[in-house]
Amino acid sequence: MSWDRLQLKPQIISAVQRAQLRSAQEVLCVSGPDLQKVTGLSRSDVQDLLHAAAAACRARLPVTALQLQRGECHRLESGLRLGTGCPVLDGLLRGGLPVGGVTELSGESGAGKTQLGLQLSLSVQYPVEHGGLSAGQESTPPAGPPDATGAMYICTEDPFPIKRLQQLISEQRVLRSDVPPSVIGGLRFSDHIYVEHTADLDSLQVCLSRRAPLLLAQGLVRLVVVDSVAALFRSEFQADDWLERNKQLLTFASMLHHLSQEFTTPVLCINQVTDVFNQSSSSVSSSSSSVSPALGLAWANQVTVRLMMQRLQGTVVRGDQSSALRRLEVVFAPHLARGGRDVGVWREGLRGVLDPA
Amino acid sequence: MTLQIENVIRSVWIWFWCFFGSTVLVPHQGSSSRWTQGRSIKNVEEALEALQAARTGEGGASVTALELLQKEEEFGSIVTFSSRLDEALGGGIPVGKVTEICGAPGVGKTQLCLQLAVDVQVPPCFGGLGGQVIFVDTEGSFQLQRVVDLAGAAVRHCSLLAEDEEQRVAMTTFSVETILSNIFLVRCRDYVELLAELHLLPDFLRDRPKLRLLVVDSVAFPFLRLHDDLSQRTRLLQGLGLQLIATATRHSIAVVITNHMTTRLRGGQSQLVPALGDVWGHAPSIRLLLQWEESRRLASIVKSPGHMDATVQYQITCEGFRDADQSEQLQSKRPRIQTDQ
Repeated sequence: MSWDRLQLKPQIISAVQRAQLRSAQEVLCVSGPDLQKVTGLSRSDVQDLLHAAAAACRARLPVTALQLQRGECHRLESGLRLGTGCPVLDGLLRGGLPVGGVTELSGESGAGKTQLGLQLSLSVQYPVEHGGLSAGQESTPPAGPPDATGAMYICTEDPFPIKRLQQLISEQRVLRSDVPPSVIGGLRFSDHIYVEHTADLDSLQVCLSRRAPLLLAQGLVRLVVVDSVAALFRSEFQADDWLERNKQLLTFASMLHHLSQEFTTPVLCINQVTDVFNQSSSSVSSSSSSVSPALGLAWANQVTVRLMMQRLQGTVVRGDQSSALRRLEVVFAPHLARGGRDVGVWREGLRGVLDPA
Repeated sequence: MTLQIENVIRSVWIWFWCFFGSTVLVPHQGSSSRWTQGRSIKNVEEALEALQAARTGEGGASVTALELLQKEEEFGSIVTFSSRLDEALGGGIPVGKVTEICGAPGVGKTQLCLQLAVDVQVPPCFGGLGGQVIFVDTEGSFQLQRVVDLAGAAVRHCSLLAEDEEQRVAMTTFSVETILSNIFLVRCRDYVELLAELHLLPDFLRDRPKLRLLVVDSVAFPFLRLHDDLSQRTRLLQGLGLQLIATATRHSIAVVITNHMTTRLRGGQSQLVPALGDVWGHAPSIRLLLQWEESRRLASIVKSPGHMDATVQYQITCEGFRDADQSEQLQSKRPRIQTDQ
């Protein structure tokens, strides 16, 4: 840390160097009186030092919400949402997944969580005007392929369902009837989905700390899906190791948040559910269902948007296909009302079913 | 405090007469005289500073309890638009104090913070403070869509209440755009940025005398990652708490912070307690606990020097933080309803 950049009096800089304080962050983490003791400076000098260190650590100046609404600060609020590909579900989510923050999707096995993850990996490749996060045709160089951004899909339990992905790709025209066929035809979907298989926590950390930032920085990827979060944390820790598990969980969550904020990327975490036995004493959630998302309160505190997928009784029929009925619920989100939509899983993907009036 | 000043004055007089000479009075760095080198000159500098402060009356002057009461009454409080909660709090969130809102995820802490950010701007003729707000967001929960919803609902609510000329004139300056222009947003990605932002806050406040509310949502999120070095975390939290209290009293703003819940194991039983430990519990003056009871949302005052412990029911509608409906229909899922007012 070159202290000369901070525009302080020379005596302050020399005192700081003598006290072996290496960075502005270290200075901020020491209290005023302790700094006085360590550096031997007077109170006003220490205040100047803290002030300069704080100014160096501050990321950006405060902005007004009006500036955000006018689109003047893209890093803070880009106003983008990742559409799901179905207008009913986009209506539930007010546009789609938010671009900053971690979205969690939990549900029983067979509820359709992986299906939604695959569908989002395809919808992210569309241009922004069609609900995706790709740069769009206008900004591509005249001679060269369209610059689509894809998704990074991290599998931790089951192998990647490649056959289902191929089926979804071949049926995109049916699902996305609002997009011109030329746009769909020009996208090479499977080229832009990067699949990772991580069998344990260490390889997951490596993947998120090295490979994901590389892909995100180059703009090759604009969505990260982790399928599923619970598998590794539940299997690698014993019941009494919960302290260690919480620490690892917090590290993992902070990595996801860092990726999401640094590269303005939506992060989708698929989670399992666990049975709830003692419902009456739960003051944590309001849902009266018999299952709740796994990994407990520590993980719940790290999640920005929580969605839940449930299988319901009954089937829904469309044309020559029939599907078991499911429901996508918003459990909590800062900008969404609690509510849900019925969903069917078809050959072409997930589609919301409008409630009969 | 006055005894300290007296001792300081006495010691400075002794210095003057024992070491007579202008070299003592002039803070001269690098002088070769042994009276002016090293720490002795710094002690004299600080003594002079303290004398100066005592003379001008800042930091050392004493205040009577009556003056304090008058000051508190003229500060006012920030309404929450939930009349039952305002009643329990004696008017609303008090200005000049630190209030903590804790609760499980999804219960409505961020919604209450956003509601307060809009409510602090309500013009004084409607019972608000007409002030600005700085919102420090550490977990990415500030969503512009939601703020626009809340601002629109507040404007509609006030325009329905406008009766006399003064209120109608005030409504011309109270619109969604002006509300958005009075909310300052800062995003802090880790605890160092949060500490830096709070260090620079006094300058920010000096330039904006109309600022009446500081929201930190949430304090727990960046500090939860410091699980390796708990003693450093405690130290930093204590310093942060003192800084927040000092900012609230010195600049007469309301400070609202959000906290998570965590489980504590006590003799085989687990209970939900606010995160960050008991040491942090001393920082806020008022603590509001938001929790679920089956499908109802309850707000309880669990710590307050000036109010009785009380629990009220509230709901979150598409217009924001409001009282629960009078007709208590317990549904398993409470959808947000468009209340036609």
